[in-house]
Amino acid sequence: MNAELTPALLLAAAVFAAWLRASAPIILAALGALVSDLAGVINVGVEGLMLVAAFFGVLGSAYAALWWPEAPAWAWPLAGAGLGLAASLSLALVLGVFHLEFGADLIVAGIGINLLAAGLTVFLMVTVSGDKGSTAGLASYTLPALQVPGLGAWPVLDAWVNGEAGAGHHMLVYTAFLAVAALALVLRKTRFGLRLRAVGENRDAAIAAGLPVKRLQYAALLLSGLLAGLGGLYLSMGYLSLFQADMSAGRGFLALAAIFVGARRPLGTLAAALLFGASAVLAAQLGLLDIPTQVLFMLPPLVTLLAMVVFSERRALLARRATARAVQRMPPVVPMPFTKPPAETEPHADGH
Amino acid sequence: MSSGGGMGSPGAGGNRALWAVAVALVLGFGLTCAVSNEPVRAYRVLLSGPLPDVAWSADAGWTLQRVTRFGAVIEDAITLSLLGLAMMFGFRARQFSMGADGQLFLSALAAAWVSVQMPGLPALALPAAALAAVATGFVWGWIPGWMKVRWGANEIVTTLMLNVVAIQTYRLVIARVFNDPGAGFLATPLLPDAAALAVLLPRTHITWFVLAAPLAAVLAWFLIERTTLGYQIRAVGDSLPFAARAGMPVGRTIALAMGLGGAFAGLAGLHLSNGLLRRLPVDLTPGIGFEGLVVALLARNNPKAIPVAALLYAYLKAGAQAMERASDVSREVVLIIQALIVLCAVSERLMPAAASEWLRARGGLRHER
Repeated sequence: MNAELTPALLLAAAVFAAWLRASAPIILAALGALVSDLAGVINVGVEGLMLVAAFFGVLGSAYAALWWPEAPAWAWPLAGAGLGLAASLSLALVLGVFHLEFGADLIVAGIGINLLAAGLTVFLMVTVSGDKGSTAGLASYTLPALQVPGLGAWPVLDAWVNGEAGAGHHMLVYTAFLAVAALALVLRKTRFGLRLRAVGENRDAAIAAGLPVKRLQYAALLLSGLLAGLGGLYLSMGYLSLFQADMSAGRGFLALAAIFVGARRPLGTLAAALLFGASAVLAAQLGLLDIPTQVLFMLPPLVTLLAMVVFSERRALLARRATARAVQRMPPVVPMPFTKPPAETEPHADGH
Repeated sequence: MSSGGGMGSPGAGGNRALWAVAVALVLGFGLTCAVSNEPVRAYRVLLSGPLPDVAWSADAGWTLQRVTRFGAVIEDAITLSLLGLAMMFGFRARQFSMGADGQLFLSALAAAWVSVQMPGLPALALPAAALAAVATGFVWGWIPGWMKVRWGANEIVTTLMLNVVAIQTYRLVIARVFNDPGAGFLATPLLPDAAALAVLLPRTHITWFVLAAPLAAVLAWFLIERTTLGYQIRAVGDSLPFAARAGMPVGRTIALAMGLGGAFAGLAGLHLSNGLLRRLPVDLTPGIGFEGLVVALLARNNPKAIPVAALLYAYLKAGAQAMERASDVSREVVLIIQALIVLCAVSERLMPAAASEWLRARGGLRHER
C-alpha cells in the first residue's frame, strides 16, 4: 500500500462509514413505505413509527436493566428492541384498523399517526424522565456493531470494512442492506409478494380473483411497521444512544420521497435513500467551512426536491424512448389503398 | 381510494365532529388516569381553565379575572381558523398540502419587512404588508402544486421539504440581514405603530383581525361554493378523471387550490407579525400548520364551520397549558388528543368493517349498505 495514499483512504473510509450511518435509517424506513405503497396502502406514518420504535427501544432497554440486573448485558438492548418493534407494529396496526375497519382516509390517518407518535413519545418521556428534550438521564443500552475480526494488520482495509474506529458497522446497517435484497426477493419470487403487488395494482381485480385483500393489506402495513421500526431503533440504539424529541427529524418523509424517486422498486429506493444520506453527510462536512448553518439545513430538502424533478424528467424521457423503440419494431405499415374523401363544401358561417 | 367521498365533502356536519372530540377526550382521560395522581382535577382544569372568571363582590362589583388568558384563546383561534381555511383549500381538491407552516413563516417575514420599509407612508404600510403576506403565501403554496402538476411530485413530500427551506430561510434572514441589534435577542425590528393592527380589548392582543377571521371564512366559502374555480376545485377533489373528461383545466385547478390555501396561510402570517408579535423572533416555533389540519378536519372542510372548530381547538390548547401549570400532567396530552381527534374525525364508520361483516354473515344487519 502506498504510504502517501493511506491518509486519504482512511479519510474516505471515515466518510464512507458516515454515509452508511446516515443512509441506514432512511433505507429501512423507505423499504417500509415501499412495501405498503406496493400493496396500495401507502403508510404516511413511517415517521411516527420510527419515533415510537426509537422511544420504546430506549425505554425497554433501560427498564430491562433496572428490572433484571442479573440478566446478561446483551439481553437488555434485545428486550428494548423487542419493545420498540412491538410499539411500531402496534401503531401500524392502529393505522390499518382506522383505514380498513373504520374507513378513515389513509393519508390523513397516516398524518394522524405521526401526530400521535410525536405527542405520545414526548408525553411519556416527561412522565418517565421529567425531561422534555431527551432521555439523557436514563441509562439505556445500544444494539451491537458487527466486527469482522482479524483485519488489524491492514489498517486501510480495516477502516473500510469495520468503520474508522475498527469497531465494525452497526448490525442494523447490515440489516438495512440485507432487507433490500430480502424485500426484492420476496416481492419478485414469492407468491406473497406477487399477491401483495396484485392488490396494489388493482384492488378490485384482486378481490375478484379471490385474494384475501384486507389480510394482505394488513400484512403490508405490519411489514412497513417492522421495517420502519428497525430504522427507528437504529436512531436511538446505534446512531445515538438516547432518545430525543422528534429524533426521526423528517427521515420518514425522506423515505416517502425515496420511493417516488426510486420508481417504486427496491433497488431504486435504495439508490434514492443513499442519495439522501449522502446529502446529509455533505451538509455535515460543509459545516467545517464558514457557511451559515441555516443554508446547510436547507441542503438535504433541496437535494430531495431536485431529485424528485430530475428523476421524473428522466422517467418521462425513458418512457418516450421506449415508445419510439416499440414503434420502430412494429411491422412496416402497408400502404392502404387510399381514396380521398370528397371535398366537403363547407357552408360559410354567415350562410352565403 | 375507497374512502374519498368523506374527505372532500362536508357531510353529516357537526355531529360527527363532536363525536370525534368526545371520543378523543375520553381516550385522553384514560391516558391521564394512567400517569396522574389527580386525573379528575387535571381534566377539570383542562376543560374549564381558559374561561375568564366573573366574580361579584359587594365593594368591587363585577370583576373579570383571567382576561389575558381568554384573550390568548381568541388570538390563537384567529390564527388557527386562517390556517384551517388554508388546509381546507388543498383538501377540497384532494391535495394533502402540509405546507402551511412554511407559508406562515415566509409571509410573516414578508409582512414584517414591508412594514419596516415604509416609514414615510403610514397609511399604506398595513395594506402593503397584507399584500406582501398574501402574495408570499400564494407563491409558496403554488410551487408544490405546480411541481405536482408538472412532475407528479408527491405534495406531502414537497410541502414538507419546502417547509424546511422556508423556516431556514426565515432564520437565515433574521440572523444575518433583517434584525435589530438593540432588541437584546435575535429578532426583527419592532414594527411601526402605523403597520400594527389596532388592539380592540385592553390587556390582550385581540385586534380588529378578530373580524377578519369570520370574514375570511365567508370569503373562502364564496370562493369554494360560488365561483367557477371553486366548482372546479370541488370537482377535481371528488373525481379527478371526471373533471378531466369534462374538460376542466385539472392541473391549473390543483395549483391554484394550493396557491389559494397559501394565501390564507399568508393572512395568518400577517396576523402573527403585525397583530400578535410585532417583532418576529428568530426561534419562532414551527408546527402550528399541523393544528390547521386538525381544525380543517374537525370542521369537515366546511369553511363556515372552521372558525368554530378553531375556537374549540384553541380553547383546548389553552386548557392544556392551564392544566400543566395546575397539575402533574404535562400539556403534551393535548398533542395526543389532537392526533386522536384527527383519527376519529376522518373515520367514516362507527363500527369496524370486520364486525359489520360478521354481523351481516349472521344475518343480524340486513339493512347495512
